Amino acid sequence: MEERTNALLLKYPGTNCDFETARALEAAGFSTKILPIARFTEESLKSIQLVVLSGGFSYGDYVMAGRLAQLETERRVGDALTRFRDSGGYMMGICNGFQILTKLGLLPEGSLIDNVSGRFICKWVRLNRNTDSSPFLKGLPESFELPIAHAEGRFIAPSGLAESYLEDGLAALLYKDDINGSSCQIAGLTDETGRVFGLMPHPERFLLESHHYDPDWKREDDGWGTGYFIFKSIFNEISEGVSNQ
Amino acid sequence: MEEKLPSAKPKSYREISIRDLSPDELLALSESMKLSLSIEDMIEVQLYYASAMRREPTDVELECIAQTWSEHCKHRIFGARIEHVGSEGEEVIDSLFKTYIKSVTERIMEKKPGFVLGCFVDNAGFIKLDENQAICLKLETHNHPSAIEPYAGANTGLGGVIRDILGAGKGAKPVASCDIFCFGPPDTKSSDINADDVIHPLGIMRGVVRGVRDYGNRMGIPTICGAIQFDSSYVYNPLVFCGTAGTIPISDIDKEMSPGLKVIAVGGRTGRDGLKGATFSSMALDTESHEEDQQAVQIGNPIEEKKAADFVIEARKKNLIEFITDCGAGGFSSAAGEMLSEVGGNLYLERAPLKEPGMTSWEIFLSESQERMVLAVKDESMEALKELSEIYETELTEIGNSDDSGILKVWHDNELVCELDNSRLHDAPTRRLNSSFCVDAVKKYELSEDDLAADLDVVISDFAIGSREPIIREYDHEVQGNTVLKPLAGSMGDAPQDASVVKVDGSDHLMSIGLSLLPEWGKTDPLAMGKATVDECFRSLVASGANPEKIALLDNFCVGNPEDSTELGMLVETCKGIAQGAESYSAPFVSGKDSFYNYFETSDGPVSIPTTCLISGMGVVDCASHVTGASIRKKGSLIVMLGITDSKMGGSVYARIKGLTKCAVPNTDFSKALKGYNAFHSAVTEGLILSAHDVSEGGLGVAIAEMAFSQVGGVTIDLEALPSTGKVGKAERLFSESPSRILIECDPNDLDRLKMVLEGTDFSVVGKVTADDQNLLITSGAEKVLEVEIAMLKEKWKNVLTPYY
Repeated sequence: MEERTNALLLKYPGTNCDFETARALEAAGFSTKILPIARFTEESLKSIQLVVLSGGFSYGDYVMAGRLAQLETERRVGDALTRFRDSGGYMMGICNGFQILTKLGLLPEGSLIDNVSGRFICKWVRLNRNTDSSPFLKGLPESFELPIAHAEGRFIAPSGLAESYLEDGLAALLYKDDINGSSCQIAGLTDETGRVFGLMPHPERFLLESHHYDPDWKREDDGWGTGYFIFKSIFNEISEGVSNQ
Repeated sequence: MEEKLPSAKPKSYREISIRDLSPDELLALSESMKLSLSIEDMIEVQLYYASAMRREPTDVELECIAQTWSEHCKHRIFGARIEHVGSEGEEVIDSLFKTYIKSVTERIMEKKPGFVLGCFVDNAGFIKLDENQAICLKLETHNHPSAIEPYAGANTGLGGVIRDILGAGKGAKPVASCDIFCFGPPDTKSSDINADDVIHPLGIMRGVVRGVRDYGNRMGIPTICGAIQFDSSYVYNPLVFCGTAGTIPISDIDKEMSPGLKVIAVGGRTGRDGLKGATFSSMALDTESHEEDQQAVQIGNPIEEKKAADFVIEARKKNLIEFITDCGAGGFSSAAGEMLSEVGGNLYLERAPLKEPGMTSWEIFLSESQERMVLAVKDESMEALKELSEIYETELTEIGNSDDSGILKVWHDNELVCELDNSRLHDAPTRRLNSSFCVDAVKKYELSEDDLAADLDVVISDFAIGSREPIIREYDHEVQGNTVLKPLAGSMGDAPQDASVVKVDGSDHLMSIGLSLLPEWGKTDPLAMGKATVDECFRSLVASGANPEKIALLDNFCVGNPEDSTELGMLVETCKGIAQGAESYSAPFVSGKDSFYNYFETSDGPVSIPTTCLISGMGVVDCASHVTGASIRKKGSLIVMLGITDSKMGGSVYARIKGLTKCAVPNTDFSKALKGYNAFHSAVTEGLILSAHDVSEGGLGVAIAEMAFSQVGGVTIDLEALPSTGKVGKAERLFSESPSRILIECDPNDLDRLKMVLEGTDFSVVGKVTADDQNLLITSGAEKVLEVEIAMLKEKWKNVLTPYY
């Protein structure tokens, strides 16, 4: 039997982008399982290469976004996710998933708070890639579009830190324009191992060319949207690793 | 003394003596208990208990009957016998619903077998998408709650209609939502509001939008289309329509109750929030409503509903559900009534999980607390269902069972608090009403053509026309990753579209959702309004790429005082109009809802809303390549107008701005229109249409500007080239809202083929997309009418609402 590369998508009460994110992971080649948090144990991480936290409103995000999801995750599995990362595992957090990973301390220090406008913003934005080495962004253009949809996407960090993330490439993804007031217009971050990546934009919503708002948007003739290549990039990285073992 | 303690527990219900009451005393009782039952209704109830039951009713039973018979639940005005005097003389209408809605649908269903897969009975109407899947749609109003508590009212309005979809069939998956609002103008002066405690339109708008946002976004259902009407007649009684669409395997549509099933409640707990919402909705608003009836507005908790939704969809996929419905108006009483009304069964109130202690029997039975679904399941499915409830962290409680008695028995702590023979319970007396309406003599106006550029500026900056972008961006319209024709699109991503289209997982076919409401038309000519709303909704769906053969409609009405014969007469005329439209287009009504008593007692007397008819629709788009946007795509394209422009300006934005009252309202020629739509669709299937926009509010001037907002190039239009009838002036050509028209962008190389496809319809090439500049140039033959920079026009259009929202 062909060995598949396995992704595990954690679903909290209020997670709502699980279906389309799983669809994107499958399209890129991952064998994907959506696991409700009530059934999550350390055992669940066995033979998993990528853990994904998708978008949504975990527990309603009525206290700081991602805070209750962090507490519940720690209550269930302690620091299992940190150990998973340390033993070579990859993690990706999209939107609410980015907020949760930040709260879990798996990404560089900082917080995602209310947009400066005080509003929810659903729109397509232009992003600049600020790294050459992230396994999640290999082969992506210098500049590309993805949709955002969040009320709490403004990244802030203690004085000077955002600038240092910019400098050392941890701030992997930047908004081209000031969308929500993020320090240094940070839209996505990786940790120092490069194996954990969090971003506010939704690559799973630009899986296909037809997802773009402009009917004439075209890249090549294969029908994929730019978001697909983020999933493909990490799939290639992991599956090469798996087959090299 | 100690021995007496057990019996000292107060009874959770009481008996109400009605046997010996006079009709006036019965009415006084109805009023003091806020039952909203008429003298005739109360006499019927008295008779039922005296002769059939031979006992006095309990308060639980009276409350239950009041809910079931309320206008909100039973639609008694749509079922009434109406003596109507219209333009064609006197007639008797035996039920508006049967005459103008149900029978129309039945005739269409005979012509198109297999298309409608469910209508009027279940929580939503279903049509066939492909061989395996069906799509469904439901719209509800939440007007009175939104008037009193805009955020919570709109929040639970959307929450409620999402549950309708979850309770449709054996549990449809909600895939898209829409919202339609009617508000007072944002710039209403507070001093012009003649009643205390009425919330200013701005407060209503902000609260309502945030309510919809916070429920829809948290549920992960994209809010993909909508509309807002601003009119001073909505200041006291705003309207909030919320709709949700769903998908379901065709094999899971039919559901049936049978004896021996367990009845379980899933989701939120039951509390005192939302008591008597259905009867509250069936009364007029006044200042006291704002003070007294806050208990009638429920509190929303979208995450509770999200967990219940995940549970329901999974349970349906695993084939664990025999029957399901939601707890909406009337709470357990209506859900249990729906499930147990024919087979019979038991409900045990003490088992229902409560938010607070000390609730009486009727409070538990009638509470409209949100986020509750009621299911009937087989005994052997219980274990799997309990496991799912643990996985999705939602509470599951067995609250009763079905039997074969035909009688609903409600128990509370071993006492029978309500026993109803449901075959009798649902027999509310038929109402008898009178109505009359004739269109007043209309006036003819000479329109000034002096400064049409300034007129276009004013029209595009009107609240009716301006961009809804500030509101649309607050809604997540892309979650689920299937929204292919977004509410804002075009090459800049911010131009308006006609209908919205979503992909459906597991199908090559897509679903388009569109809508129309034209209350301004109805003020003068409700018949013409009814016709045009069906036409506009149908047209927006066709313009987006839907197959005209595969469109179904929903009718939602909001009316002021039905006891006023003119207001009721306007409703009757509206119904005639929509019936003609649906029949002509073979587009069946599959679901609908009506809301009455939308008026407010101000210090200067009652203020009613205008008769408001919202027609929404779902259409099947046969394949992805048919999806058609409403924004210009290419320099050098030609602009073609399909459909005839005439000089009638009644109901138009232009007429309202110019203060032209009693203008003749345009008529709709359905057979010509349908011929055009069928030809248009052939052109779509042959790939001859680059983009297309329906011409509606603001007329050609606004429609072509909106198409040009993709800012691909300049646009020139020749007004003289428009297909028209009679003498039509320049202002009329530019701003008339004649129905049935579509502006088409086509490649010049495809023009000959397009002409062949459109042959026999009224169309002509009226303009082109130019490469030289970025201006909109309108000419009339050789004469220049106006020239304006598209970017400037767009800037004005984009900033109409921004100062207010």
